Amino acid sequence: MIIEVWTKEKYSVNEEAGLIGRLAHAGLPVKTARLSRLYKIEAPFHKKDFDRIAAELLTDKITERYSLSARPALFPKGPKRCARPGLKKFYRVEVWLKNSVTDVVGESVKEAIRDIMGGQPRNVRFGRAYYIACGSESRLKRAVSTTLMNEIVNVYSVTKGKAKG
Amino acid sequence: MKKSGRGEMINFEKLLKKFTKLNEKELVKLDKACGWSLNAAELRQAQACFRKTKREPARGELETLAQTWSEHCKHKTFSGPVRFRSKSRTKRYKNLFKETIVKATKTLNKPWCLSVFKDNAGIVEFGRDKKWGLAFKAETHNHPCAVEPYGGAETGVGGVIRDILGVGLGAKPVLNTDNFCFGRLDSKMKLPRHALSPERVFRGVVEGVRDYGNRMGIPTASGGIYFDDGYLLNPLVYVGCAGLIPVNKIDKKVRPGDLIISIGGRTGRDGIHGATFSSANIDEETSASAVQIGHAINGKKTLDVLMKARDLNLYDAVTDCGAGGFSSAVGELGAETGARVRLENAKLKDTRIEPWEIWVSESQERMILAVPPGKLCALEDILNAENCEYCVLGEFTSDGRLLVTFDNETVADLEMDFLHEGLPNFEKEAVFPAPAARRRPSEKSNKPYLRTLKELLAHPNVCSRHSVITQYDHEVQGGTVIKPLQGRFGDGPGDAAVIWPHSATGDMRDFSGFAATHGFNPAVGRINPYQMALYSVDEAVRNLLCVGAEVSRTAILDNFCAASPKDPRVMGGLVLAAEGCHDAAMAYGAPFISGKDSFYNQSKDAGGRQYPIPLSLLISAVAPVTDIRKAVTINFKEAGSPVYLAGICRKGFGGSVYDELSGTGDNLISEVKMKDAVRLYAAVLKAMKRGFVAAAHDVSQGGLAVTLAEMAFSGGFGAELDLDEAAAEKGLSEPELLFGESPSRLVLEVAKEKEPQFLKLVKGLPVKEIGFVREEPILDIRLGDKRLLKEDINILKGLWKRELL
Amino acid sequence: MSKPKAIILRGTGTNCDIETMNSFRYAGADAELVHINELLSAKKKVLDYDIMAFPGGFSYGDDISAGKIFAVKLAGLSKDFEAFINDARPVIGICNGFQILVKTGFLPENRGNKPVSTLYTNDCGHFMAKWIKLKINKKSPCIFTRGLPEEIELPIANGEGKFIVEDKKVLDGILRLNLHALTYSDNPNGSMRGIAGVTNKSGTCLGLMPHPERNLFAYQRPDRPSSTALRASFGSAQGRPAGFKEALAAGHQFFRNAVEYVNG
Repeated sequence: MIIEVWTKEKYSVNEEAGLIGRLAHAGLPVKTARLSRLYKIEAPFHKKDFDRIAAELLTDKITERYSLSARPALFPKGPKRCARPGLKKFYRVEVWLKNSVTDVVGESVKEAIRDIMGGQPRNVRFGRAYYIACGSESRLKRAVSTTLMNEIVNVYSVTKGKAKG
Repeated sequence: MKKSGRGEMINFEKLLKKFTKLNEKELVKLDKACGWSLNAAELRQAQACFRKTKREPARGELETLAQTWSEHCKHKTFSGPVRFRSKSRTKRYKNLFKETIVKATKTLNKPWCLSVFKDNAGIVEFGRDKKWGLAFKAETHNHPCAVEPYGGAETGVGGVIRDILGVGLGAKPVLNTDNFCFGRLDSKMKLPRHALSPERVFRGVVEGVRDYGNRMGIPTASGGIYFDDGYLLNPLVYVGCAGLIPVNKIDKKVRPGDLIISIGGRTGRDGIHGATFSSANIDEETSASAVQIGHAINGKKTLDVLMKARDLNLYDAVTDCGAGGFSSAVGELGAETGARVRLENAKLKDTRIEPWEIWVSESQERMILAVPPGKLCALEDILNAENCEYCVLGEFTSDGRLLVTFDNETVADLEMDFLHEGLPNFEKEAVFPAPAARRRPSEKSNKPYLRTLKELLAHPNVCSRHSVITQYDHEVQGGTVIKPLQGRFGDGPGDAAVIWPHSATGDMRDFSGFAATHGFNPAVGRINPYQMALYSVDEAVRNLLCVGAEVSRTAILDNFCAASPKDPRVMGGLVLAAEGCHDAAMAYGAPFISGKDSFYNQSKDAGGRQYPIPLSLLISAVAPVTDIRKAVTINFKEAGSPVYLAGICRKGFGGSVYDELSGTGDNLISEVKMKDAVRLYAAVLKAMKRGFVAAAHDVSQGGLAVTLAEMAFSGGFGAELDLDEAAAEKGLSEPELLFGESPSRLVLEVAKEKEPQFLKLVKGLPVKEIGFVREEPILDIRLGDKRLLKEDINILKGLWKRELL
Repeated sequence: MSKPKAIILRGTGTNCDIETMNSFRYAGADAELVHINELLSAKKKVLDYDIMAFPGGFSYGDDISAGKIFAVKLAGLSKDFEAFINDARPVIGICNGFQILVKTGFLPENRGNKPVSTLYTNDCGHFMAKWIKLKINKKSPCIFTRGLPEEIELPIANGEGKFIVEDKKVLDGILRLNLHALTYSDNPNGSMRGIAGVTNKSGTCLGLMPHPERNLFAYQRPDRPSSTALRASFGSAQGRPAGFKEALAAGHQFFRNAVEYVNG
């Protein structure tokens, strides 16, 4: 299960501006971008358990919301909700640490889940997703590889997305 | 890099099985495949060693040997023989390090040096009752930071902290230091394909130091950032740590029967260096340069456990798992006794790991303890209370053997002293063709001095570092009494940090502290490596003086970074700088207590040519501050106070920022007059301790004008100055007076009504009044009747206070 | 009179515990470091103490969000903590400690202890350590800020210090009852109404982002005394500066107030 945590639009201006600034520095001027945090949790829990983990542990209900997705590395159900006005055509970039690299956040979350659920997941990995409206996939990839990830420790994927409505 | 096919692997396994019979070509092939980085002679020596045992070595044994003999562990270059040739002389060294740096320490033989050059860090006496020792260590983590700046910096910080935790029976870290060298952020040079931009390296390194240091709860409060395109492909990241240790915890001695216990992080393949082609474990993620991400919270748990266990005397010895992992930590602790290790007991990150990999993995956040069996339970209670993982790896024995197994498989079975005998070493050639001296002071430049001052203040090597410093929790532990950012607005550039370590001593009524700072002058080193060492020691001592530290009790660390030692010119620079270190240590009475070196800092540029770094020597220095309440900051404090310049302004723009800006190519370097400096500093310190000095700031990059501007805007005061009175060498030009960087100078604000007493103390010394502080926020500098420059301090501050990040 | 007993509550990653303990000791309390595991295993009990402090740090790495995991661990002990707070025994949460009090829902005070506010990533997007000026709300019931001047200076050092309240009614309540004990003079992180510290109605439970334990004495400040002050303190050429007591700074008052409150 992948839990994707979003900063509510109300509070996300700063993190988006930061992302847009970094992309611009890497030679990719974009007007709008969104980002989210991903928790890939491998555990034999029910959906309501994942909901509880997301709501009680991973999401700050005041500033954040979450969506669940069983399909890793694929476009989650809620791009429409997450997209800002003007972010109709965009790419979704997922960045994870390689499996061989220690995932500090993943380890903490794993233990925290044990604290609230009693049972410990097999594995938890932490990643990030970026939604970036831009024209050229190759330019995006170049910008991403020079600013948002490092091939030495990360793996990433780019998928094309389109918000409905 | 070409992927190794199956055929290649079989070949490699075969080679391993007949190691002692391989010819030179095969040896080199094997070395490359295993990533040992041993040279042909060393490989032959390894063969000879194993021939004596009359059997073929196991992989684990070869790995152990390769680790033990590595540059990282043995410092072959610096500790090796060198032949230095110059026009006038030829000098041979059997062991360059021992005959320069260590020699000075031995000759000085200071009674307050408690442990030098033998443990993980140097230790000097600290505090008023001789109850405490101050441990200090700095090292570099250059290559990992070049490829993965964030993880590289994190693990660099973590590594040096563990050096402090692993010195004696463990010191409590109270200060982190960081010094970085990056390519210019505005560099125009084309980068090779895989090189990261200097901006990215800078950002990643700062974030790594921030996230690790802050989480560990250790203030990162002293350091520097130096930009030069020489570091474009090979950034330097120096990380240092200072800690406090009770003097009765400095000695450690493993006893036979002690359990070998690993605490903290788990062991995994992430810590395997170099190309590893073990048969079962190839996947696409195997990287030729495995870089790890730090786990600060595991580091913090380890710290918390160690401090408790140390005070309860629960172990006989401790050391960190650094290069070589278990193999070097256990090898080092058990060198006198012997050790029996059962690797199946190790706590692992995942199971896909070969036994020999467990043995040499450099996974982070691990410490090795030697624990008497009777104390295991008490230790386990602490470990469990802190949620700190651990495992009992085996025990120290009395048979002088190192026996390492995994279930029934033997990973290594060697005599302990086998590892340390017979490492061959060759004489290296060293030359240094000194560049011809050129003095081209740009007297005729039409640029107004004010414009030059403004350019200097905004120069990346002079401007404010606040955007970096404020990302570090430089005040955690509540003891950073002299801060990196100081003055009326909390943003003036301090010369040294002063730490009042009540978080380690628990004593808020003892006002003993210590100051820490650095000296670093690679631009001088390009012209004259010997003077570079003198400049750096002088700068460090002077920075300590500026806060009011006992400079006669200065202890220093050397950290050399250089390109390939196979280049005789690199070795030549090293020899001269090492000689400089010796002479400076002797003159200032400042012994080296620890040090580290890093070679091969060069890579291929976009055109495929080797691109070496300039010879870089970081001098880190500490000295006691008897009463931290009397420590001094740089900012002007009161209108009407007289301003004095201590020291003589001398000719030459060699290695200065002014020279870089004006491009005159002046390479004259005024030599450090060390004896004069020592006399001057002693008198100034006396005045400071009596409370006669309200502010002090050294003259360094950018020269006197920059120093004065910084003192003014940090205090929110102006100053009216006439440099006519300043002590100066004959024939000094106006630009040299304003912007020259000749050594051994500092500016003092003197308490007005204490001026007569102050003058008595500095009688006969080159300490001259050059003006006074004033309320009006204008910096006004004259030379007799001529106005050199005049400007609002807030405008100057605005130019200086750039956002670097 | 016996000294008030202060529990300095720490967990993995807490790192301002020792200086907080030293501050309470200096102010006259008998302060003790206690790991949360010692409470969870019932080896120690919160209610055996008179004062409680949640020091700063990065509890459990602050992974997920600052103070969150610590708050989750506290859930099992919330009855004792509620009793402690309701008993009007002084509680102070500094920096990460404030974040924990907010994430547990103890602050801002509300029925049912639900988190009604949060401390979110600073507007600058990263960790920030610097000295800032704070206004003391003289009308606040807060016992910790008693006797402080209208404006003081303390250092902040956090990545997530932006105080946000979702419900306007809650914010209005805080303002009306003067529970905002401290506000920033120049808002450094985007906090609502520049709020830097919040107390409960009885004024005994305070959470604040700045670090009072780092400003116990004048010589811990970035601006050292001027030469006039130097003259005063170096009245004799050597030895201790005269008037040592005068060197006490704003931060000390927080701890002394707690001790004096308990001593009555």
